[in-house]
Amino acid sequence: MTAPADTTPALAVTGLSKRFGASVALQDVDLAIGPGEVHAVLGENGSGKSTLIKILSGFHRPDAGTVAVSGQPLPLGHPASSYRLGARFVHQDLGLVDSIPVLDNLAIGAGFATRLGTISARRSSERARADLARVGLAVDPGASVGSLSPATRTGVAIARALREDPGSPVRLLVLDEPTATLPATEVDRLMDIIRRVSAAGVGVLYVTHRLDEIFTIAGNVTVLRDGREVAAVPTSSLDHRRLVDLLVGEELTAAHHVAETLPAEGERPALSLRGITGASLDGFSADFGAGQITGIAGITGSGRETVLGAAFGAIDRTGEVLTAGGVRLAPSRPDLAMRHGLAYLPADRVRNAAILSLSARENISLSSLRPFRRFGTMRGRPERRIALTWFQRLSVRPPDLVDLPLESFSGGNQQKIMFAKWLRREPVVFLLDEPTQGVDVGAKAVLHRQLVQAAAGGAAIVISSSDVDELAAICQRVIVCRDGRAAADLRGGEVSARAISRECLLGSASPNHGVSSTTGVPRPGASPGRVFPDQGFPDQEGPADK
Amino acid sequence: MRISGKRLNFGFDRFSGLYLWGLFILIFGIWEPRLFLTLGTVHSIASEQAVAALLGLAVVVPLATGAFDLSIGATANLSAVLVALLQSQQHWSMWPAIAVALLIGVIIGAVNGFIIVRLQVNAFIATLGMATIVGAVETIVSGNSQPQPPTSSAWARLTQYQIFGFQALFFYVIIIALISWWFLERTPAGRYMYATGGNGVAARLSGVRVGGWTWLSLIFSGTVAGLAGVLFSSQSGPSLTFGPALLLPAYAAAFLGSTQLRPGRFNVWGTVLAVYVLATGVFGVQLITSVQWLNDMFNGVALIVAVSFAVWRQRRARADVTPAQPVESSPAESGPGAAGGGPPGSANGQSPGLRSSPAGDSAAPGGGP
Repeated sequence: MTAPADTTPALAVTGLSKRFGASVALQDVDLAIGPGEVHAVLGENGSGKSTLIKILSGFHRPDAGTVAVSGQPLPLGHPASSYRLGARFVHQDLGLVDSIPVLDNLAIGAGFATRLGTISARRSSERARADLARVGLAVDPGASVGSLSPATRTGVAIARALREDPGSPVRLLVLDEPTATLPATEVDRLMDIIRRVSAAGVGVLYVTHRLDEIFTIAGNVTVLRDGREVAAVPTSSLDHRRLVDLLVGEELTAAHHVAETLPAEGERPALSLRGITGASLDGFSADFGAGQITGIAGITGSGRETVLGAAFGAIDRTGEVLTAGGVRLAPSRPDLAMRHGLAYLPADRVRNAAILSLSARENISLSSLRPFRRFGTMRGRPERRIALTWFQRLSVRPPDLVDLPLESFSGGNQQKIMFAKWLRREPVVFLLDEPTQGVDVGAKAVLHRQLVQAAAGGAAIVISSSDVDELAAICQRVIVCRDGRAAADLRGGEVSARAISRECLLGSASPNHGVSSTTGVPRPGASPGRVFPDQGFPDQEGPADK
Repeated sequence: MRISGKRLNFGFDRFSGLYLWGLFILIFGIWEPRLFLTLGTVHSIASEQAVAALLGLAVVVPLATGAFDLSIGATANLSAVLVALLQSQQHWSMWPAIAVALLIGVIIGAVNGFIIVRLQVNAFIATLGMATIVGAVETIVSGNSQPQPPTSSAWARLTQYQIFGFQALFFYVIIIALISWWFLERTPAGRYMYATGGNGVAARLSGVRVGGWTWLSLIFSGTVAGLAGVLFSSQSGPSLTFGPALLLPAYAAAFLGSTQLRPGRFNVWGTVLAVYVLATGVFGVQLITSVQWLNDMFNGVALIVAVSFAVWRQRRARADVTPAQPVESSPAESGPGAAGGGPPGSANGQSPGLRSSPAGDSAAPGGGP
């Protein structure tokens, strides 16, 4: 697939480095893509992929290194020059307007074909058809983008990126995770489009999390880890497993098991899920044991981020949720789930858990007002006393000010208050989504200790987290989701950050149906939390993608 | 930091209404001591604004759950016309007529609740439509001519009976205010309603039946509006147009009240305070000049000035307390709750009612009771 050696490369990157403050985003990265070559760039969140793309598009200025597009050096830090040299970008969110026709979407940016200042319908339509034909799409330009299938939409975005511009012929197409939200059947169609583009002599830089696509489409692959290039090899020299090793790294993380004393086998299931389906779940079944901490891992769209909400009733579902007593919980009824001893802490605290306008005390007591009620009236004193107790127990700061509105507390302290709200019910099953996301290290330790304590007290704790280090540190068992199902079940000694990551990625062959734009491949071996400031790609990056 | 700030600011952030009230009394007391500083002034302010205060109380409860009820004005009006018609034309006796008028209020509230909770229509739209429908019903039953007021003396005495020089009506307001206050501040139901209004999704995930509480709050507002109509009819006669004219003042009082006593949340005594502070100001100014537009101008300016002041205070207080809110909370600021497009930070801040209704929130997967 690689073009003859004598042609100038579509992209040549040498010695590219970029730091953000103290953290290294890219370190001495080289990359060469020949005309007509499809070159995959792989790496986990925070590995430097996003930074690389942002440098190519002129958004970031590198600290060192050079970039040449089609033999011409790219003056770095200017989005327009990147376009002029023939680089085109299709970002993950495509940047299409769903409500208007394909034709208008194509014309946005490049402009409409006009006649005397009026849009010429016929010429615009012809031009649109030609643009679509270039990527092999036979779509009616009058159809609204929202009515198209996901792959076709991506195709339209590519067609728009490749629109003919006499001033700067297209040399390089950068696709940033185009398949992240595509179902499997659609991926093949997109692969056809990409093949057609590369056959026309355009170099393609292809960023993805799905390993099997790389074997399908890419001639060469570059793997980034922690900003460094760990491999740049022809795809044919690799197999699936070797690729995962490259991605995750050989080094084992020295996870400290704060919860080593808890049993790896729960003596009895406290909650059983049977065939849970809905919201990216497809027949998820698992048992969660009492007295242990079970982790749930998986890439975004694997079901990891919805399974607990579905079990609790936050998200609609079909399938059975059974308590230890054999009670079948009704779907979408958090109040009934609570009555049977369930507790659930959702991921997005501000949106789904916290009531910022109420005081910390009122947030804590909301989970059960019964102890404070006498003759139909709320008694203030016991309510205050319980809030104070929990403030001390979780060392919430500022201390003792339980009547301050929740919004006056920092994120970590708000999360402690959310913990207090549920722990005071002494739940039989405590489900937590991303319990320590955006929480500082000190608060994290406090929260983990509380969970271990609750498990030691006999509760079933279930943590769904994209932070594999967290799971490895406190879970005795980790269930890995793939394709909406429990695909792997690691227990006791098998639980390690590396093993979890490996299991998450093994299944990346198949589609993920998630709609989230951030990818959830866990990041082992690194300190928890977000390392690089460049996660999440801003959708508008100047004219480079027009 | 926050503590010392609170101690030092003399409660300007939550008691500004009381200070303003004192200021009004001082100014008009000096300016027109013979006319203003009399018991008569106290009595007439208390009873003139009683119906407005009742309607203010009617809207506080649904606002606490995050729902607008724009139908209260029309409901009060229909109830006023109906209670008079039943007595003067149908020759019903007083109590059955009152019972029917109140029942109408309950039914309107229940239908509002059905549309908002079950059909998941935005509360603003649902009650706006209901207000229009109720207005049409009023025209049907009245034939668009003002009914004769009932002639029985019991009917007039219902509100105009004097206790310590105050009309009985004023004491009804105090009773309803006490009940509302107890309900909102001292019962689990009230706590659930505030939670629903604060964040409907979070409340639902805490086991709160958000749909049920929203529904109940609308039945409450409908009923109180019906009562306000009955009392207005007894006090001033069955006007065909008073209700809609009192709608906006009721909301003004509730919003102004949400900056007082318990800033950041709609509350009963703040609302009552707001009604009477404004009434005192208007009454005083009317002693000095007699222009017609003064009432509206005064109310409008006072509302905007007071709420802006409170928002400013709150923003400053917040900047003092939390210099660095973690960034991770920011996406939710633009979340569904902010669809109403309130001022920045209003979602949970000084203007709680500017959040969009919880109907939107409880429309999250599987919402409703």
